[in-house]
Amino acid sequence: MNVLIAGGDPTGAQLAYLLLEEKINVCLVEHRREVLDQLHLELPTEVIYEDNATDLEVLEEAGIRNADVLVACTSNDADNLVLCYLANTLYHVPRTIGRINNPRHAWLFNEKLHVNVALNESSILAHLIKEEMSFGDMMTLLKLRRGEYALVEVMIQPGAKAAGAAIKDLPLPDQCVIAAIIRKGTMIVPRGATKIEVGDEVLAITNNIGEEQLAELFTFQNNS
Amino acid sequence: MRVIVVGCGRVGSALAYQLYKKGHLVTVIDQKASAFDNLPVDFRGRTIEGDVLAREVLRRAEIEDADALAAVTSSDSLNALIAHIARTEYRVSKVVSRNYDPRQLPLQKAFSITVIASASWGVQRIEESLSDTPLRVVFTDSQTNFAIYQFEVPEFWHGRSLQELLPEGRSKAIALRRAGQLLPISVEQTLETGDLIYLSSDPEEIEALRHRLVFQKEQLA
Repeated sequence: MNVLIAGGDPTGAQLAYLLLEEKINVCLVEHRREVLDQLHLELPTEVIYEDNATDLEVLEEAGIRNADVLVACTSNDADNLVLCYLANTLYHVPRTIGRINNPRHAWLFNEKLHVNVALNESSILAHLIKEEMSFGDMMTLLKLRRGEYALVEVMIQPGAKAAGAAIKDLPLPDQCVIAAIIRKGTMIVPRGATKIEVGDEVLAITNNIGEEQLAELFTFQNNS
Repeated sequence: MRVIVVGCGRVGSALAYQLYKKGHLVTVIDQKASAFDNLPVDFRGRTIEGDVLAREVLRRAEIEDADALAAVTSSDSLNALIAHIARTEYRVSKVVSRNYDPRQLPLQKAFSITVIASASWGVQRIEESLSDTPLRVVFTDSQTNFAIYQFEVPEFWHGRSLQELLPEGRSKAIALRRAGQLLPISVEQTLETGDLIYLSSDPEEIEALRHRLVFQKEQLA
Protein backbone atom coordinates (compact mmCIF):
# COMPACT_ATOMS: atom_id res chain seq x y z
CA MET A 1 0.00 0.00 0.00
CA ASN A 2 1.18 3.52 -0.84
CA VAL A 3 0.27 6.39 1.42
CA LEU A 4 0.88 10.02 0.54
CA ILE A 5 0.82 12.44 3.45
CA ALA A 6 0.64 16.19 2.92
CA GLY A 7 1.77 18.22 5.91
CA GLY A 8 4.47 17.38 8.42
CA ASP A 9 2.91 18.72 11.61
CA PRO A 10 3.00 16.29 14.58
CA THR A 11 -0.11 14.47 13.31
CA GLY A 12 1.35 13.81 9.87
CA ALA A 13 4.78 12.97 11.23
CA GLN A 14 3.42 10.57 13.82
CA LEU A 15 1.23 8.90 11.20
CA ALA A 16 4.19 8.45 8.86
CA TYR A 17 6.16 6.94 11.72
CA LEU A 18 3.40 4.44 12.57
CA LEU A 19 2.92 3.43 8.94
CA LEU A 20 6.65 2.89 8.45
CA GLU A 21 6.65 0.52 11.39
CA GLU A 22 3.95 -1.43 9.58
CA LYS A 23 6.22 -1.53 6.50
CA ILE A 24 3.81 0.60 4.48
CA ASN A 25 5.17 2.82 1.69
CA VAL A 26 4.97 6.39 2.89
CA CYS A 27 5.81 9.72 1.33
CA LEU A 28 5.39 12.88 3.36
CA VAL A 29 5.33 16.23 1.56
CA GLU A 30 6.32 19.33 3.52
CA HIS A 31 7.92 22.63 2.55
CA ARG A 32 8.19 24.71 5.72
CA ARG A 33 11.84 24.93 6.70
CA GLU A 34 11.30 24.96 10.46
CA VAL A 35 8.97 21.93 10.27
CA LEU A 36 11.42 20.07 8.04
CA ASP A 37 14.23 20.47 10.56
CA GLN A 38 12.14 18.61 13.12
CA LEU A 39 10.92 16.02 10.59
CA HIS A 40 14.43 14.99 9.66
CA LEU A 41 15.05 14.07 13.28
CA GLU A 42 12.00 11.81 13.33
CA LEU A 43 11.79 10.19 9.91
CA PRO A 44 14.18 8.65 7.39
CA THR A 45 15.19 11.09 4.66
CA GLU A 46 13.81 9.01 1.78
CA VAL A 47 10.30 9.35 3.18
CA ILE A 48 10.36 13.16 3.15
CA TYR A 49 9.65 15.09 -0.03
CA GLU A 50 10.64 18.71 0.44
CA ASP A 51 8.28 20.90 -1.51
CA ASN A 52 4.88 22.51 -1.50
CA ALA A 53 2.05 19.98 -1.68
CA THR A 54 -0.30 22.42 -3.40
CA ASP A 55 1.75 22.22 -6.59
CA LEU A 56 0.51 19.51 -8.96
CA GLU A 57 3.99 18.81 -10.27
CA VAL A 58 5.15 18.15 -6.73
CA LEU A 59 2.24 15.82 -6.05
CA GLU A 60 3.00 13.89 -9.21
CA GLU A 61 6.69 13.63 -8.33
CA ALA A 62 5.77 12.46 -4.86
CA GLY A 63 3.75 9.64 -6.42
CA ILE A 64 0.13 10.67 -6.16
CA ARG A 65 -0.77 8.63 -9.25
CA ASN A 66 0.12 5.42 -7.41
CA ALA A 67 -1.18 6.39 -4.00
CA ASP A 68 -3.88 4.24 -2.40
CA VAL A 69 -4.55 6.81 0.29
CA LEU A 70 -4.01 10.54 0.49
CA VAL A 71 -3.87 12.05 3.94
CA ALA A 72 -4.24 15.83 3.78
CA CYS A 73 -3.13 17.03 7.19
CA THR A 74 -1.58 20.39 6.56
CA SER A 75 -2.38 23.21 8.95
CA ASN A 76 -4.47 24.92 6.26
CA ASP A 77 -8.03 23.69 5.75
CA ALA A 78 -8.38 25.14 2.24
CA ASP A 79 -5.23 23.25 1.21
CA ASN A 80 -6.54 20.05 2.79
CA LEU A 81 -9.86 20.30 0.97
CA VAL A 82 -8.26 21.11 -2.37
CA LEU A 83 -5.84 18.21 -1.95
CA CYS A 84 -8.59 15.69 -1.19
CA TYR A 85 -10.70 16.93 -4.08
CA LEU A 86 -7.90 16.81 -6.63
CA ALA A 87 -6.46 13.53 -5.35
CA ASN A 88 -9.75 11.83 -6.06
CA THR A 89 -11.04 13.67 -9.13
CA LEU A 90 -7.77 14.22 -10.97
CA TYR A 91 -5.56 11.34 -9.82
CA HIS A 92 -8.21 8.77 -8.85
CA VAL A 93 -6.75 8.10 -5.41
CA PRO A 94 -9.37 5.72 -3.97
CA ARG A 95 -9.31 7.02 -0.40
CA THR A 96 -8.85 10.53 0.93
CA ILE A 97 -8.53 11.62 4.53
CA GLY A 98 -8.70 15.28 5.47
CA ARG A 99 -7.70 16.95 8.69
CA ILE A 100 -9.96 19.69 9.98
CA ASN A 101 -7.97 22.41 11.74
CA ASN A 102 -10.87 24.73 12.43
CA PRO A 103 -14.15 23.04 13.48
CA ARG A 104 -16.06 25.84 11.75
CA HIS A 105 -14.83 24.39 8.45
CA ALA A 106 -16.12 20.90 9.26
CA TRP A 107 -19.23 21.35 7.08
CA LEU A 108 -17.05 21.32 3.97
CA PHE A 109 -15.26 18.06 4.70
CA ASN A 110 -17.69 15.73 2.98
CA GLU A 111 -18.23 13.56 -0.08
CA LYS A 112 -19.07 16.58 -2.23
CA LEU A 113 -15.48 17.70 -1.97
CA HIS A 114 -14.33 14.08 -2.19
CA VAL A 115 -13.22 13.77 1.43
CA ASN A 116 -13.83 10.17 2.48
CA VAL A 117 -12.86 10.57 6.10
CA ALA A 118 -12.69 13.80 8.04
CA LEU A 119 -10.49 14.03 11.10
CA ASN A 120 -11.61 16.68 13.48
CA GLU A 121 -8.93 16.72 16.15
CA SER A 122 -10.04 19.70 18.16
CA SER A 123 -13.66 18.60 18.09
CA ILE A 124 -12.76 15.10 19.33
CA LEU A 125 -10.77 16.68 22.12
CA ALA A 126 -13.52 19.14 23.00
CA HIS A 127 -16.08 16.33 23.13
CA LEU A 128 -13.82 14.29 25.37
CA ILE A 129 -13.49 17.19 27.76
CA LYS A 130 -17.21 17.82 27.68
CA GLU A 131 -17.88 14.16 28.46
CA GLU A 132 -15.47 14.30 31.33
CA MET A 133 -17.56 17.08 32.75
CA SER A 134 -21.03 15.66 32.14
CA PHE A 135 -20.43 12.05 33.19
CA GLY A 136 -18.31 12.77 36.20
CA ASP A 137 -16.02 9.83 36.70
CA MET A 138 -16.77 7.99 33.47
CA MET A 139 -14.05 8.56 30.92
CA THR A 140 -13.84 7.79 27.22
CA LEU A 141 -10.52 6.09 26.51
CA LEU A 142 -11.00 5.48 22.82
CA LYS A 143 -13.48 6.33 20.10
CA LEU A 144 -14.24 3.59 17.60
CA ARG A 145 -15.90 3.81 14.20
CA ARG A 146 -15.68 7.61 14.02
CA GLY A 147 -17.08 8.05 17.50
CA GLU A 148 -20.06 5.73 17.13
CA TYR A 149 -18.65 3.32 19.71
CA ALA A 150 -16.36 4.00 22.63
CA LEU A 151 -14.19 2.22 25.13
CA VAL A 152 -15.06 3.78 28.48
CA GLU A 153 -13.61 3.49 31.94
CA VAL A 154 -15.36 4.18 35.19
CA MET A 155 -14.27 4.03 38.82
CA ILE A 156 -17.07 2.69 41.02
CA GLN A 157 -18.01 5.17 43.73
CA PRO A 158 -19.99 4.38 46.90
CA GLY A 159 -23.66 4.97 46.09
CA ALA A 160 -23.44 3.82 42.49
CA LYS A 161 -26.35 1.54 41.54
CA ALA A 162 -24.03 -1.21 40.35
CA ALA A 163 -21.96 -1.37 43.55
CA GLY A 164 -22.39 -4.77 45.17
CA ALA A 165 -24.40 -6.25 42.28
CA ALA A 166 -23.42 -9.23 40.11
CA ILE A 167 -22.95 -8.45 36.42
CA LYS A 168 -25.73 -10.87 35.39
CA ASP A 169 -28.20 -8.89 37.54
CA LEU A 170 -27.31 -5.53 36.02
CA PRO A 171 -29.72 -4.08 33.44
CA LEU A 172 -26.93 -3.52 30.92
CA PRO A 173 -27.81 -1.80 27.64
CA ASP A 174 -27.93 -4.02 24.51
CA GLN A 175 -25.05 -2.40 22.69
CA CYS A 176 -22.68 -2.72 25.61
CA VAL A 177 -20.16 -5.21 26.87
CA ILE A 178 -18.06 -5.16 30.03
CA ALA A 179 -14.54 -5.84 28.85
CA ALA A 180 -12.52 -5.94 32.06
CA ILE A 181 -12.49 -5.05 35.73
CA ILE A 182 -9.36 -3.80 37.41
CA ARG A 183 -9.43 -4.48 41.15
CA LYS A 184 -6.53 -3.44 43.38
CA GLY A 185 -4.23 -3.32 40.40
CA THR A 186 -5.03 -6.73 38.93
CA MET A 187 -7.32 -7.48 36.05
CA ILE A 188 -10.36 -9.68 36.53
CA VAL A 189 -12.09 -11.24 33.54
CA PRO A 190 -15.74 -10.36 34.06
CA ARG A 191 -18.22 -13.26 34.26
CA GLY A 192 -21.93 -13.17 34.98
CA ALA A 193 -21.38 -13.98 38.63
CA THR A 194 -18.66 -11.38 39.17
CA LYS A 195 -19.78 -8.77 41.66
CA ILE A 196 -18.93 -5.12 41.12
CA GLU A 197 -17.22 -3.58 44.15
CA VAL A 198 -16.61 -0.02 45.21
CA GLY A 199 -13.19 1.07 43.96
CA ASP A 200 -13.30 -1.22 40.90
CA GLU A 201 -12.24 0.26 37.58
CA VAL A 202 -14.68 -1.05 35.02
CA LEU A 203 -13.82 -1.00 31.31
CA ALA A 204 -16.69 -1.31 28.86
CA ILE A 205 -17.32 -1.02 25.14
CA THR A 206 -20.57 0.73 24.28
CA ASN A 207 -22.41 2.80 21.69
CA ASN A 208 -23.57 6.37 22.33
CA ILE A 209 -26.96 5.41 23.77
CA GLY A 210 -25.53 2.69 26.01
CA GLU A 211 -23.01 5.14 27.37
CA GLU A 212 -25.62 7.19 29.18
CA GLN A 213 -27.29 4.10 30.66
CA LEU A 214 -23.89 2.86 31.80
CA ALA A 215 -23.18 6.15 33.48
CA GLU A 216 -26.44 5.84 35.33
CA LEU A 217 -25.51 2.36 36.61
CA PHE A 218 -21.90 2.89 37.43
CA THR A 219 -21.53 6.46 38.63
CA PHE A 220 -23.01 8.06 41.68
CA GLN A 221 -26.23 9.76 40.59
CA ASN A 222 -27.10 12.73 42.72
CA ASN A 223 -30.64 13.10 41.41
CA SER A 224 -31.77 9.48 41.96
CA MET B 1 -25.84 42.45 -10.10
CA ARG B 2 -25.06 41.18 -6.60
CA VAL B 3 -21.34 40.51 -6.36
CA ILE B 4 -19.23 39.05 -3.58
CA VAL B 5 -15.54 39.89 -3.56
CA VAL B 6 -13.44 37.63 -1.34
CA GLY B 7 -10.19 39.25 -0.27
CA CYS B 8 -9.66 42.98 0.08
CA GLY B 9 -6.02 43.47 -0.85
CA ARG B 10 -4.88 45.46 -3.87
CA VAL B 11 -6.91 43.51 -6.39
CA GLY B 12 -9.95 42.97 -4.19
CA SER B 13 -10.32 46.58 -3.10
CA ALA B 14 -9.85 47.95 -6.62
CA LEU B 15 -12.28 45.42 -8.06
CA ALA B 16 -14.89 46.06 -5.37
CA TYR B 17 -14.65 49.81 -5.92
CA GLN B 18 -14.89 49.53 -9.70
CA LEU B 19 -17.95 47.28 -9.43
CA TYR B 20 -19.53 49.61 -6.90
CA LYS B 21 -18.93 52.60 -9.20
CA LYS B 22 -20.73 50.75 -11.99
CA GLY B 23 -23.79 50.42 -9.81
CA HIS B 24 -23.49 46.84 -8.59
CA LEU B 25 -24.34 45.65 -5.08
CA VAL B 26 -20.96 44.69 -3.69
CA THR B 27 -20.09 42.69 -0.57
CA VAL B 28 -16.42 42.38 0.35
CA ILE B 29 -15.20 39.67 2.73
CA ASP B 30 -11.81 39.67 4.40
CA GLN B 31 -10.34 37.98 7.45
CA LYS B 32 -8.80 41.21 8.66
CA ALA B 33 -10.83 44.33 9.31
CA SER B 34 -7.75 46.41 8.54
CA ALA B 35 -7.88 45.20 4.91
CA PHE B 36 -10.95 47.37 4.36
CA ASP B 37 -8.68 50.41 4.75
CA ASN B 38 -7.63 49.63 1.17
CA LEU B 39 -11.09 50.68 -0.04
CA PRO B 40 -11.57 54.30 -1.13
CA VAL B 41 -13.52 56.36 1.41
CA ASP B 42 -16.51 56.77 -0.88
CA PHE B 43 -17.04 53.00 -1.29
CA ARG B 44 -20.59 52.23 -0.19
CA GLY B 45 -20.72 48.46 -0.48
CA ARG B 46 -20.91 46.00 2.38
CA THR B 47 -17.83 44.78 4.21
CA ILE B 48 -17.78 41.59 6.26
CA GLU B 49 -14.88 40.70 8.50
CA GLY B 50 -14.69 36.95 8.81
CA ASP B 51 -13.51 33.55 7.73
CA VAL B 52 -14.94 32.88 4.28
CA LEU B 53 -14.92 29.11 4.80
CA ALA B 54 -17.26 29.45 7.77
CA ARG B 55 -20.81 28.77 6.69
CA GLU B 56 -22.30 31.58 8.73
CA VAL B 57 -20.00 34.13 7.10
CA LEU B 58 -21.17 33.03 3.66
CA ARG B 59 -24.74 33.24 4.87
CA ARG B 60 -24.17 36.77 6.16
CA ALA B 61 -22.80 37.66 2.74
CA GLU B 62 -26.09 36.29 1.31
CA ILE B 63 -24.28 34.02 -1.08
CA GLU B 64 -27.55 32.25 -1.97
CA ASP B 65 -28.70 35.41 -3.73
CA ALA B 66 -25.37 36.39 -5.26
CA ASP B 67 -25.06 36.55 -9.05
CA ALA B 68 -21.29 36.56 -9.07
CA LEU B 69 -18.31 35.87 -6.84
CA ALA B 70 -14.67 36.80 -7.31
CA ALA B 71 -12.12 35.05 -5.09
CA VAL B 72 -9.04 37.27 -5.14
CA THR B 73 -7.14 36.50 -1.93
CA SER B 74 -3.44 35.71 -1.96
CA SER B 75 -4.14 32.01 -1.27
CA ASP B 76 -4.61 30.05 -4.47
CA SER B 77 -6.21 27.01 -2.89
CA LEU B 78 -8.65 29.20 -0.98
CA ASN B 79 -9.57 31.07 -4.16
CA ALA B 80 -10.16 27.90 -6.14
CA LEU B 81 -12.06 26.29 -3.30
CA ILE B 82 -14.38 29.19 -2.54
CA ALA B 83 -15.15 29.69 -6.24
CA HIS B 84 -15.88 25.97 -6.56
CA ILE B 85 -18.16 25.98 -3.50
CA ALA B 86 -19.97 29.12 -4.68
CA ARG B 87 -20.72 27.45 -7.99
CA THR B 88 -21.56 23.92 -6.88
CA GLU B 89 -23.09 24.50 -3.45
CA TYR B 90 -24.74 27.89 -3.89
CA ARG B 91 -25.34 27.94 -7.68
CA VAL B 92 -23.66 31.32 -8.13
CA SER B 93 -23.70 31.69 -11.91
CA LYS B 94 -20.46 33.62 -12.41
CA VAL B 95 -17.38 32.74 -10.40
CA VAL B 96 -13.79 33.82 -10.93
CA SER B 97 -10.66 32.73 -9.10
CA ARG B 98 -7.51 34.78 -9.09
CA ASN B 99 -4.17 33.05 -9.46
CA TYR B 100 -1.52 34.49 -7.19
CA ASP B 101 1.40 32.06 -7.39
CA PRO B 102 1.96 30.87 -10.99
CA ARG B 103 3.18 27.51 -9.64
CA GLN B 104 -0.31 26.86 -8.35
CA LEU B 105 -2.04 27.68 -11.62
CA PRO B 106 -2.44 24.01 -12.71
CA LEU B 107 -4.05 23.24 -9.35
CA GLN B 108 -6.60 26.00 -9.84
CA LYS B 109 -7.29 25.04 -13.42
CA ALA B 110 -8.13 21.50 -12.30
CA PHE B 111 -11.30 22.96 -10.82
CA SER B 112 -13.47 23.84 -13.78
CA ILE B 113 -13.71 27.53 -12.96
CA THR B 114 -12.46 30.69 -14.61
CA VAL B 115 -8.96 31.51 -13.41
CA ILE B 116 -7.37 34.89 -13.97
CA ALA B 117 -3.61 34.54 -13.85
CA SER B 118 -2.40 38.11 -13.75
CA ALA B 119 1.13 37.29 -12.63
CA SER B 120 1.92 34.79 -15.40
CA TRP B 121 0.17 37.01 -17.91
CA GLY B 122 2.27 39.96 -16.81
CA VAL B 123 5.49 37.99 -17.01
CA GLN B 124 4.73 36.94 -20.57
CA ARG B 125 3.89 40.47 -21.67
CA ILE B 126 6.99 41.92 -20.01
CA GLU B 127 9.17 39.31 -21.62
CA GLU B 128 7.70 40.14 -25.02
CA SER B 129 8.25 43.84 -24.48
CA LEU B 130 11.89 43.21 -23.65
CA SER B 131 12.61 41.01 -26.63
CA ASP B 132 13.70 42.70 -29.86
CA THR B 133 11.67 40.54 -32.25
CA PRO B 134 8.92 42.45 -33.99
CA LEU B 135 6.17 40.43 -32.30
CA ARG B 136 3.70 41.80 -29.83
CA VAL B 137 0.57 40.44 -28.31
CA VAL B 138 -2.70 42.21 -29.01
CA PHE B 139 -5.12 39.82 -27.29
CA THR B 140 -4.86 36.99 -24.79
CA ASP B 141 -7.25 34.58 -23.16
CA SER B 142 -5.74 33.59 -19.85
CA GLN B 143 -8.02 30.54 -19.60
CA THR B 144 -6.77 28.72 -22.67
CA ASN B 145 -3.43 30.40 -23.35
CA PHE B 146 -4.73 31.38 -26.76
CA ALA B 147 -3.44 34.72 -28.01
CA ILE B 148 -3.41 36.98 -31.04
CA TYR B 149 -0.08 38.50 -31.98
CA GLN B 150 0.89 41.28 -34.30
CA PHE B 151 4.00 40.65 -36.34
CA GLU B 152 5.75 43.41 -38.23
CA VAL B 153 7.66 42.02 -41.22
CA PRO B 154 11.33 42.96 -40.82
CA GLU B 155 13.57 44.01 -43.69
CA PHE B 156 15.35 40.68 -43.89
CA TRP B 157 12.04 38.95 -44.58
CA HIS B 158 11.11 41.22 -47.48
CA GLY B 159 10.10 39.33 -50.59
CA ARG B 160 9.58 35.99 -48.90
CA SER B 161 6.30 34.15 -48.57
CA LEU B 162 3.94 33.76 -45.67
CA GLN B 163 4.36 29.99 -45.91
CA GLU B 164 8.07 30.27 -45.20
CA LEU B 165 7.31 32.32 -42.13
CA LEU B 166 4.60 30.00 -40.82
CA PRO B 167 5.20 26.39 -41.81
CA GLU B 168 2.21 24.26 -40.80
CA GLY B 169 1.99 24.68 -37.08
CA ARG B 170 -0.29 25.94 -34.44
CA SER B 171 -0.03 29.51 -35.72
CA LYS B 172 -2.53 30.83 -38.17
CA ALA B 173 -2.43 34.14 -40.01
CA ILE B 174 -5.81 35.80 -39.66
CA ALA B 175 -5.16 39.18 -41.25
CA LEU B 176 -2.52 40.97 -43.29
CA ARG B 177 -2.33 44.72 -43.24
CA ARG B 178 -0.25 46.66 -45.77
CA ALA B 179 -0.26 50.44 -45.96
CA GLY B 180 -3.52 50.73 -44.09
CA GLN B 181 -5.31 48.14 -46.25
CA LEU B 182 -6.32 44.59 -45.40
CA LEU B 183 -5.04 42.11 -47.98
CA PRO B 184 -6.43 38.62 -48.60
CA ILE B 185 -4.51 35.89 -46.79
CA SER B 186 -2.86 33.23 -48.88
CA VAL B 187 0.17 31.11 -48.19
CA GLU B 188 1.89 32.26 -51.36
CA GLN B 189 1.49 35.89 -50.38
CA THR B 190 4.79 37.69 -50.76
CA LEU B 191 5.62 39.82 -47.76
CA GLU B 192 6.97 43.33 -47.73
CA THR B 193 8.87 45.20 -45.06
CA GLY B 194 6.46 46.83 -42.64
CA ASP B 195 3.52 44.49 -43.36
CA LEU B 196 1.53 43.74 -40.24
CA ILE B 197 0.47 40.13 -39.88
CA TYR B 198 -2.04 39.15 -37.20
CA LEU B 199 -1.53 35.63 -35.93
CA SER B 200 -3.61 33.46 -33.68
CA SER B 201 -1.31 31.21 -31.72
CA ASP B 202 -0.25 29.85 -28.38
CA PRO B 203 2.88 31.10 -26.61
CA GLU B 204 4.94 27.98 -27.40
CA GLU B 205 4.41 28.40 -31.09
CA ILE B 206 5.28 32.08 -30.89
CA GLU B 207 8.46 31.10 -29.09
CA ALA B 208 9.34 28.80 -32.01
CA LEU B 209 8.64 31.58 -34.48
CA ARG B 210 10.82 33.94 -32.50
CA HIS B 211 13.67 31.42 -32.65
CA ARG B 212 13.28 31.07 -36.43
CA LEU B 213 13.49 34.84 -36.80
CA VAL B 214 16.60 35.16 -34.66
CA PHE B 215 18.21 32.30 -36.58
CA GLN B 216 17.31 33.89 -39.90
CA LYS B 217 18.75 37.21 -38.86
CA GLU B 218 22.02 35.61 -37.77
CA GLN B 219 22.27 33.74 -41.05
CA LEU B 220 22.00 37.00 -42.94
CA ALA B 221 24.47 38.84 -40.76
